[in-house]
Amino acid sequence: MKLDIRYRMHFRYSEPVRESQNEVRVRPRDDETQRVVSFRLTNEPPTKVLSAFDYWGTAVEQVGVRIAHTALELTAETSVDTLPRPAPPPDTPVEALADPDFRARHFEFLDPSPHVDWQTGDSVAARAAAATHSARSVPDLLAAVVAEVRGALRYESGATDIGVSLEELLAGGAGVCQDFAHLAIGMLRSVGVPARYVSGYLFAADETAAGDETAEMVSVQTHAWIEAAVPGAGWCAFDPTNGGTVGERHVVIGCARDYGDVPPVRGVFMGGATAEVEAEVVIGKRPAVEPAPSPGARSWPRAVTQGPPLGSRPQQHQQQQQ
Amino acid sequence: MAPPRRMYPRAKTGAARLVRAAPWPPSSSMGFVADQTPAPDAGLLDGYRPGPGFDEAFEADGSVREAYRRIVERFSQLDAGELRRLERLVADEFRRQGITFTVYSDEEGTERIWPMDLFPRLIAAAEWDELERGLTQRVAALNCFLEDLYAGEGAAIADGVVPRWLVVSSGGFERNAMGIQVPHGARCNVAGIDVVRDGEGRYRVLEDNLRNPSGISYVVENRAAMAKACSWLFYDHAAQPVEQYGRMLRSTLESMAPGGADSPHVVVLTPGIFNAAYFEHAFLARSMGVELVEGRDLVVDDGTVYVRTIEGLIAVDVIYRRVDDTFLDPVVFRPDSMLGVPGLLGALRAGTVTVCNALGNGAADDKAVYAYVPDLIRYYLSDEPIIDNVPTYLMWDPDQRAEALGRLDELVAKPVGSSGGDGVMIGPHADDEELAAARAAIEADPRNWITQEVVQLSSLPSFTQERLEPRHVDLRPFVLTGERTQVFPGGLTRVAMRRGSLIVNSSAGGGSKDTWVLAPEHQ
Repeated sequence: MKLDIRYRMHFRYSEPVRESQNEVRVRPRDDETQRVVSFRLTNEPPTKVLSAFDYWGTAVEQVGVRIAHTALELTAETSVDTLPRPAPPPDTPVEALADPDFRARHFEFLDPSPHVDWQTGDSVAARAAAATHSARSVPDLLAAVVAEVRGALRYESGATDIGVSLEELLAGGAGVCQDFAHLAIGMLRSVGVPARYVSGYLFAADETAAGDETAEMVSVQTHAWIEAAVPGAGWCAFDPTNGGTVGERHVVIGCARDYGDVPPVRGVFMGGATAEVEAEVVIGKRPAVEPAPSPGARSWPRAVTQGPPLGSRPQQHQQQQQ
Repeated sequence: MAPPRRMYPRAKTGAARLVRAAPWPPSSSMGFVADQTPAPDAGLLDGYRPGPGFDEAFEADGSVREAYRRIVERFSQLDAGELRRLERLVADEFRRQGITFTVYSDEEGTERIWPMDLFPRLIAAAEWDELERGLTQRVAALNCFLEDLYAGEGAAIADGVVPRWLVVSSGGFERNAMGIQVPHGARCNVAGIDVVRDGEGRYRVLEDNLRNPSGISYVVENRAAMAKACSWLFYDHAAQPVEQYGRMLRSTLESMAPGGADSPHVVVLTPGIFNAAYFEHAFLARSMGVELVEGRDLVVDDGTVYVRTIEGLIAVDVIYRRVDDTFLDPVVFRPDSMLGVPGLLGALRAGTVTVCNALGNGAADDKAVYAYVPDLIRYYLSDEPIIDNVPTYLMWDPDQRAEALGRLDELVAKPVGSSGGDGVMIGPHADDEELAAARAAIEADPRNWITQEVVQLSSLPSFTQERLEPRHVDLRPFVLTGERTQVFPGGLTRVAMRRGSLIVNSSAGGGSKDTWVLAPEHQ
């Protein structure tokens, strides 16, 4: 599928801020099933953008604005070609997961991580164990975990904040795609399946429905799903938010332990201002995406994070994935 | 009372060797030879009984080692009153200059006058030569490993020299350092390698400090104080000078400027006055003739790091940082930290500035990775290690753990990320409760513990206010790497203040000694 993606983030401050520094992870990766045809990140006020790849192989653009400013706008435009994903994993017996070499190779995706904070014996591990105890093959086990997550959480925009723990999630019973992904990863790791977080874009008007779309263009947010390592088959992708398969409508930015390793934007600025963020992802079949609208020409869906003034300490930019 | 026991490192397979300390004075049946220099028969060294272990100044039979002959003569001519007077002179000098150290745990005032014992440590030229070669070799291999890990192919891991999971699970491993390039592949620009001498007098590396080793300022200040208080001691020795450290460090750091800048701009980055080593940060900036800055003095613009000055922003090429990795850049690490510089990591990735030491060096001075350093020397340099490790057992390995837990009362247990002796359990000195606590800690988190054979540190005559008595010492030489690797002559000798104690850390009441590397004519 040939897709054009435009991701626009607009930070607005209640008073001038300065020395804003941000890491932006919005550029899709190149791999066997997707190829980036073009990518461009522009910022306003305009400054030099530095590009690099991080430990996990994700492209990072560094955007800094030293001078005083009351708004910061970042626009990432990508053209990407995607292919259908390989067939689902083979009928590997669950015993293969216990292989010490397999576990040593994937240990970073087996241990708890800051946003996937399960512990042996907690409610996450207990529910995962109960849901999977009769699974004999790895695909059965993966399906059982995805079903368990979808039974435990209902999709509700704004139900959670970025720092929510897995136990709080279970207790609350609601979340967004990031929460579905973290809970699924925690359950998988607790039963010995290496699992990682995928940040990306989904070409679907409703991320909770499995992308049988007819729309030529959608206006959404970034998306998150998961991959599990299957002995003998490598990483296999699942989308717990909609229970569907991951296919050519999914565009991968990067994979890592959890959200904290691949946030779309992370940054600090100096000043006592409060910040509001508007973000929108417009995805369409190439060349369906209309030219960038002039500011104010339409109302953008808003995801707002707001914090109390903190004097002149550095403040954070962050944005939840939905 | 049971006689003191010498604790030799034990071969991994061998049975324990229990060696009783020689009686003192030695009986005539021990066989004196005729031409020995006799121990001084009066004064401060009267009745000096070295051991257990290796004494730096005296042979086991009580004769004076050649390198120490003249210094022992000099001290034999002093009385305790005179030495007390000289010690006060030095303490007053340190007080006037504010040469102190910090004890975080003490509630009554945290600043202490730096303690220096007047009897110096001497290192003969031939002995130093071997140490120097061994340290150069070790730091070269550690730099190869860090460069391979963060900017190379990960060859040592791929070839199975050290397990990947062990390196990556190290608390000091820094994913954010991945891919950052440094000039000359020099990631550890200032290393402090702690060495001790075992019962046979062989030097062994106790631990590597590759992040922010401190102590060099005391090396320089100890010498200055000695030269003032005891100038007469230097008349008959040619000790290699130490006051050139600032120049040496500056040229090392200048060689680390990106793109070989012509006259690179170097700054020292400190966490500020509340840091225990602030005195040293100020000392280094002053002796290099460069600015001492805090995070808020630096700013990143268009990928370049600048220092704010009254003349405006001036670009910085090299940052000698004495701030821990995770405080360097609040964008990446702790958003609430005021110590770092927002955007610094982006500038590092873009290669517009060099931070010394590089990020992530903690992966190589993790004590579980330390155990592999001899193998890393063989792997990268195709060479046998010149200085051995202390025999070390990895608690993540089930076999080594089982063996070590079976005789924990004979071993030292250390958390892998500790420094300054924190959390270290010395088996032979521990009670049952401490042994049980160490055992539980090891079993709960085996990856993060090692055990080692007890090394009976070497001893040196040290002043007790009444006489000179043997006290245990270690040595932290400093190794600088830029375009090339150089070992700074001598290093910081730390001395335990209590008889028999193996704890030399100043935070635990240890003192220091001026350390002289003797010129070759003293051989």
